[in-house]
Amino acid sequence: MAAARSAHVTHALRVRPPVFRGGHREVKGEGSPRWLLPRSLCCCCRAATSVAGLGGRAYRALLGQWPRLRCSSLGAGAGRGSWAKTRSSREVKEAEDAAPVFQYVGERSKRKDRVFVWGFCHAGALGIPSFIKPDASWKKRRRIQPTPYRLDTAEKISSAACGYGFTLISSKTTDITKVWGMGLNKDSQLGFQRSRKDQTKGYEYVLEPSPIPLPLDTPQETRILQVACGRAHSLILTDKEGVFSMGNNSYGQCGRKVTEGEIYSESHLIHRLQKFKGRVAQIVCGQDHSLFRTERGEVYSCGWGADGQTGLGHYNITSVPTKLGGDIAGVNLVHVATYGDSCLAVSDEGDLFGWGNSEYMQLASITETTQVNVPRHLPFKIGKIKDAACGGTGNAVVNEEGNVFVWGYGILGKGPNLMETATPEMIPPTLFGLSDFSPDTRVSRIRCGLSQFAALNNRGELFVWGKNIRGCLGIGRMEDQYFPWRVTIPGEVLDVACGVDHMVTLVKSFI
Amino acid sequence: MLGTARPLYLARDLSSRDLPGTGASRSACSRGERFHRRTQLAEAHGGAHWGSGVVDEPVRWRFPSAIAMAAGRAARTGLNGLFAVYKPPGVASIRVRDTVETLLLKELNSLEQPAVQQQVRFLPTTVEGNAGKELTLTVTRLPVLAAHPLVRGPEFTHLKIGAGHRLDTKSSGVFVLGVGHGNKLLTDMYNAHLTRAYTVRGLFGKATDDFSDTGRLIEKTTFDHITGDKLERILAVIQGTNHKALLMYSNIDLKTQEAYELAVEGLIRPMEKTPPLITAIRCLQFAPPEFQLEIQCLHETQQYLRKIVHEIGLELKSTAVCTQVRRIRDGFFTLDSALLRTHWNLQNIRNSIKDSKIKVKVGLQRSLSHQARSGKRHTDMDQVAESELHSTEGTSASDLTHKMR
Repeated sequence: MAAARSAHVTHALRVRPPVFRGGHREVKGEGSPRWLLPRSLCCCCRAATSVAGLGGRAYRALLGQWPRLRCSSLGAGAGRGSWAKTRSSREVKEAEDAAPVFQYVGERSKRKDRVFVWGFCHAGALGIPSFIKPDASWKKRRRIQPTPYRLDTAEKISSAACGYGFTLISSKTTDITKVWGMGLNKDSQLGFQRSRKDQTKGYEYVLEPSPIPLPLDTPQETRILQVACGRAHSLILTDKEGVFSMGNNSYGQCGRKVTEGEIYSESHLIHRLQKFKGRVAQIVCGQDHSLFRTERGEVYSCGWGADGQTGLGHYNITSVPTKLGGDIAGVNLVHVATYGDSCLAVSDEGDLFGWGNSEYMQLASITETTQVNVPRHLPFKIGKIKDAACGGTGNAVVNEEGNVFVWGYGILGKGPNLMETATPEMIPPTLFGLSDFSPDTRVSRIRCGLSQFAALNNRGELFVWGKNIRGCLGIGRMEDQYFPWRVTIPGEVLDVACGVDHMVTLVKSFI
Repeated sequence: MLGTARPLYLARDLSSRDLPGTGASRSACSRGERFHRRTQLAEAHGGAHWGSGVVDEPVRWRFPSAIAMAAGRAARTGLNGLFAVYKPPGVASIRVRDTVETLLLKELNSLEQPAVQQQVRFLPTTVEGNAGKELTLTVTRLPVLAAHPLVRGPEFTHLKIGAGHRLDTKSSGVFVLGVGHGNKLLTDMYNAHLTRAYTVRGLFGKATDDFSDTGRLIEKTTFDHITGDKLERILAVIQGTNHKALLMYSNIDLKTQEAYELAVEGLIRPMEKTPPLITAIRCLQFAPPEFQLEIQCLHETQQYLRKIVHEIGLELKSTAVCTQVRRIRDGFFTLDSALLRTHWNLQNIRNSIKDSKIKVKVGLQRSLSHQARSGKRHTDMDQVAESELHSTEGTSASDLTHKMR
C-alpha cells in the first residue's frame, strides 16, 4: 500500500503539482486518487502548491522530491545560482564598501582636441591611408566615408582648410613641423612631397597627413595662424613672416608672376608674400583667386578675374596682390569669404559687401549684370552681420542674433521649394537646435563648401545642408539635404572646413 | 438554522427535477439564478427561509450571463472615463489597479441599500377554531429573500478598470486608469503616441547590473572630474541624436517641403511603434554625486531610462546608477491631476473623471483627425494641443517651440 501511495505521489509530481482550491479537500484513504485533480482542472496551473491539504507523508514526499522549490524561495535576492550562499544585507554592504574604486579620468583632466573627417576618400583628402590602401585583410577600399571618422594627428590642430581634393591642417606650435597636407598634389598644392621609392620624384597623391616643408627664416619661432585652399593652390598665413603660397599659378593666384609653360607638379617652389601694408589677418582662397585681409581692414586680391572676383575693376588676371577699392574703400573689414567665384566681406559695423560672379543671383539685389568687378555694398535689412560665407552658387550670413540668412541658387536650406532667391531668407532657428529646453541656442559660425553649407551653434553642434556630393555632408546618407541636419560628432565642434566633396572638423572631446 | 436545509451541491438535482423546461445544460443557468429559483420553489412549497453562506467579497463568476449581469450593474454606476492615480514605488501597477477596483467596489456596495422588497404572503396557520385547531390563511408581509443582499451577494462584483501605460515596480508617478467606457479611450490614447515626462534621479560613482542602486555592484569609480557643463554637453548630444532618430523614424520623405515645414515647427513625431526615443532631456539639479534629469520621451520603458542614466555615467568616464524614476506627465495627465493613495475613493475619482473629460476628448479628437487626414504620412500635430494644455495647467515646457517667422 505504501508503495502504491508513493507511486501516486511520483505520478503526481511528474504530471503537475496538485492544485487546491478552497482548501477543503482532504487526502482520503490510501491509494485513493481523490486528491489528484482531473487533468482538465490542472491545466490552468493556478494557485501554487497549497500543501495544507496534503497529508503528512505526501507533504514530506513532495518536499523531498523538489528541494529546489524550497531553496529558490529563500535565496531569491542572493544571486543567480540556486545553490549560492545567501548573504545578509550587512555583508553585501561591507563588500560594496570594500570594493576598489577605479579612476578613469583625473580631477583636472583636460579636454582632448580631435579632428574628424568625412567625404570622398579616393583622392586621399581624408588623410587615412587604409581607406585607399587597406592595411588589414578584412578592411576594404572605401570610396566614401559617410559619417565622421577620427583622424589621428600628432599635434593639436588649430586651423584646417579643404581644397578641391586636398586638405591642409596646421598647428600653432613652434616645432619645425607646423603644417600637414594630404590629398591631391598634382599641382604641388601640398608642396613637394618626396617619394620614398624614387628620391627624385614627388607624390601625386598624399594619403596621410605629411609635413609641408616651409622655407621659414625662423622656423622655431614662427607660428602658423591660418591655412586656406583653393582649386589647385594653397595659402599659409604666419604671424611674423607673411603669407606663403604654393600650387598652381596659371592665373597668378599664388601672387607671383605667371610663367608660360610652367610645370606645377613636383615643384619645390613656395612663394612668400610680404608686400602688404600692415599685417595680414585673414586669407581666403577662391577657385582660382586669393584674397588677403589686413589688420587695417583692407583687402588685397590676386588671381583670375574673369568674373570680377578680384574686385579690382577689370576682368583680367592679377599676379600681384592689389588693394581693392570700390564701396569698401575706407571701410574697416573684419571678415572676407569666398570659395567659388563670388566674394563677400563684412565690416566691423555689420555691413555686407559683395563682388564677383552674380550668375546665380548672389548680387541680383543691386545689379542686373552677372559679373561685378568692384565691391558693392549690399543693403540688406537683416541686422548686423557677424559672419558670412560664400559657396559656389549660394551665400549665407549670420547676424548678431544668431539667425542664418541664405540667398542665391541651389539647395539653400528652406526645403526643396526654395531653389533660388535674390534677397536673403531666414532659416528658422528651431532647425539649429533652438527649443523650449534650450532657448539660448544661437548659430555662431557659418561655412560654405562648393554646394553645401555648414553652421555651428554656440553649443558646439554642427548642422549641414546642401548637395550631398559623394557623402560630403557626413550625415550617413547619400541623398541631398534640403534643410539643416545635425551631424553626430562625439565632441564639441570648434571649427569646420568645407571642401567640394569632403569636410574636416576641429573638435574638443566632451570630457 | 438550516433545519430543512439541503447541502449546496445537491441544488442541481432539485432544479433539474422540479423545474420544467430545464432539460437544457445546467451551465446556461447561473448559480444566482438557481438560487433564485430554489427560493421561489421553497416558498411555493412551504415558506422556509433559506439561509446561505454569506458571500462578502466580490466573486468572479465564470458564466457568461453572470458576467453580463455584472457588467450591466457596473454600467449603472455611471463611472466611465479616464483618471490618473499616483502609483507609489515598490508596488506593482497591476496591484494598484486591483486595489483601486476593490476600493471602488467596496464603496459602491456600501452606498445604497435599497429597502428589501416586501411581499404579501398568505401563509397557512393554525387557529383555534370551533372544532379544535383549524387551518386558515393568514396575511403576512415577508421580505423577498431573492432580492436580499445576503442571498444575492453584493450588488457590484466587477468593474472594468483598465491600466494605461504601466510603470514598473520600482518607479512611481502618474498612472492613467480607465473605467467603463473609458477603456476605449485608453486604446485611443495609446494610438495617439503622446510623449511622457519623467524626473530621473541618479548617483555617480557606482555601476550595478540592473542600473539601479538596489542591484549588484559591478564597479565603483571616481566622479570628482564631473562638472555641470560636461553633463550639459552630454545631454545636448543625447538630445541631438534622439532628435535625428525622431525624424528618421517618422517615415517622412526628407526631400519634401512638408518635411521641412514639420521639422521647423517641431511637429514631426512617429505615429507607430518605434524604439524608445527621447524628445527632450535637461538637467534640473546637479550636486555631485547626485543629479536630477527631466526626460520627455516616447515609447519608453522605465528600465530604458535607467539605462540612459548608466550610459550618461559611462560617457562622463565614470559610472552612474538611477535611484528614482518618477513619471510627472503621461499624455494629458500631470501630477496635479493624479490622485494620491489617501484619495482613492469614489467621489474623488468621479471628480477626476469629470475634470479630465474635456481635455482628453479635445486632445484625442485632434490627434486622431490629423492622423486620419495625413493618411499614409505619419505625422502628428498634437504638439499644439499639448502645449495649449500645458500653458493652461502651468506645467513643464512642451517639447519644441513654434518660433517660426
